[in-house]
Amino acid sequence: MIKSVPPAFLFILGALLIPVFKGKLKPWYLLAVPIIAFVDLVSMETGTNWVSPFLNYELIFAKVDRLSVVVGYIFILIGFLAILYSIRVRENGQQMAAFLYVGSSLGVVFAGDYFSLFAFWEIMAMSSVFLIWYRREKESLSAGFRYLLMHLFGGGALLIGILIHAFSKGSISVGPLEEGWAFWFILIGFGLNAAFIPLHTWLPDAYPKGTVTGSVFLSVYTTKTGVYALARCFPGVDFVAYMGGVMAIYGIVFALLQNDTRRFLSYHIVSQVGYMVAGVGTGVALGVNGGIAHVFNHILYKALLFMCMGSILAMAGKSKLTELGGLARKMPLTCITCLVASLSIAGVPPFNGFVSKGMVISAAVEANKPALELLLTLASVGTFLSFSKLCYYTFFAKNEAIQAEDPPWNMQLAMGMTAFLCILYGVYPQALFNLLPAQQVSYHPYTASHVVGVLQLFLWGLVVFTFRRVIAPEEGTVLDLDYFYRMCCRGITWLADVAFNGLRLRTQTLFSRRTNVVIQLSKNPMLVFEGIITYFWPNVEGFYNPEAGSSKIGEPIYNENWYRKPMGLGVCLAILMLFVYGMIYILQSKIG
Amino acid sequence: MSRFLKILLWMVALLSIPIGFFTQKEHTVFFWHKIPLTEVVIGVAGTLVLILLSRILAFISLKKEDYYD
Repeated sequence: MIKSVPPAFLFILGALLIPVFKGKLKPWYLLAVPIIAFVDLVSMETGTNWVSPFLNYELIFAKVDRLSVVVGYIFILIGFLAILYSIRVRENGQQMAAFLYVGSSLGVVFAGDYFSLFAFWEIMAMSSVFLIWYRREKESLSAGFRYLLMHLFGGGALLIGILIHAFSKGSISVGPLEEGWAFWFILIGFGLNAAFIPLHTWLPDAYPKGTVTGSVFLSVYTTKTGVYALARCFPGVDFVAYMGGVMAIYGIVFALLQNDTRRFLSYHIVSQVGYMVAGVGTGVALGVNGGIAHVFNHILYKALLFMCMGSILAMAGKSKLTELGGLARKMPLTCITCLVASLSIAGVPPFNGFVSKGMVISAAVEANKPALELLLTLASVGTFLSFSKLCYYTFFAKNEAIQAEDPPWNMQLAMGMTAFLCILYGVYPQALFNLLPAQQVSYHPYTASHVVGVLQLFLWGLVVFTFRRVIAPEEGTVLDLDYFYRMCCRGITWLADVAFNGLRLRTQTLFSRRTNVVIQLSKNPMLVFEGIITYFWPNVEGFYNPEAGSSKIGEPIYNENWYRKPMGLGVCLAILMLFVYGMIYILQSKIG
Repeated sequence: MSRFLKILLWMVALLSIPIGFFTQKEHTVFFWHKIPLTEVVIGVAGTLVLILLSRILAFISLKKEDYYD
């Protein structure tokens, strides 16, 4: 019997073979890889497999349990849909980057030890940046570098934490951590990927600058691996729970001010990941289940939203709310799927977001965290309102001038299938509940009070929202905390360029002048005396004065005495030294 | 938003209030779970708070598109 391979290896190997396939065979090959990976995942045995010794430790490439399997399922499922969406991309490099990105994310999910987790973590950062750079615009290049810089910082923190943990505990197996230096460093590493405030700035900076198809992949994997890692190592940490609440509100407030649709969606990732982080942070079984269920559902509707906005960007060439409108008739399928995704992310019954959001908020109540419940409920209202704004200004606002049509069939098919899954997991949540990590937890989302409560919340929020035109999109950019990072970086650049480099230049000039003096003196030590004379009798033109007299540096003057004097002086000094040495030797031998 | 849609929204929103009285909450843990129409209040107050926060933020940090260039 063939042993199951970790799905990460299938994607990574699959990435390397992409250039081999050409023509009509290539799309079939691209779609076959996730299908094979899915079959492989289904056949994987529970427990730890693919163990390899490394130094005094063991690397585990396939830690299979309910948590890793459910995240693995959704990663491969959305990988298939995103590949279908991007099947017409001609650049092999972009396809390879996407495959490596998916593969390394799966590597993180199934890693049973911190070393292999770290290795896949870094491959993930390195491969995903190409999905931004392939847009081939100046802004994308800069955003990609900022993205990479932030992730290298996070990776560095993670590595420090892992090393401290490995040396202090003697173990590298992935699991809950005790508080200490390792705890905080690893939390920073994971938290950066999960877009903790204030480490989130890479996300709304980079995701809108990715390629049309690349942003779909980006919206799925990086933040979700962060949440998965938090669920593994930091369940029940209060700091994590409240960080989730803050993220949920922070993302909404910033999203309300965005004009660029994909930047708008990026801030909503911060907000939605906040729910997942909060669920994990509560530590109760319902919370962890809710957090992971939200990972599952969020991947579906957020990828769908990026697909819709990517389609609009590709077909209409616009991504700003102030330039969009009137697309409901011109792009009907995109409009319908975007509405499904918007209702899902807002948590409107019977869409999938309603189920998982309810689980997380109920977990906050169960964990006796009233402030967290209020923060998450407030964020829920904000999500509904901001997606009302997005849909209105993109599809229903008047704009006769816009020209567009629905995207090619592969994009429509991917969007249609994803929308169908959003409805399926909302209408039939048991399909998802069967996969969640804690089996014993029962949750009933469709109770009368829950449904009516959510509808009251949204309807009355919308009533207020329609009163004033405060929600109209505005042109401009909203400065986030990255303003301070950029200012710090500019400060460092100034320090390096102006201050330190200036100091270096001054020092270099000073020493080169002094060196010239020494060179002159070594050529003619008698200049010392003449220098002294010049110093005490400045009216006498000195022999040594670089600015005046006949000895200007660089002037080709020949004077034979210049060469005799130093040689004579040198011989005198050598004789003197020899005499002193001889005297010391004689005295020492006498005493001895 | 058209006038018709606004009227419809108001009607549905108002209708949701009496419906709320007929539904009983399963779990009442914090004191506001026991207050009727809590969701209506949170919906209205929450929206106002979010709009206020976003306007303050816009006042402080909304800059031109090419600010960093």
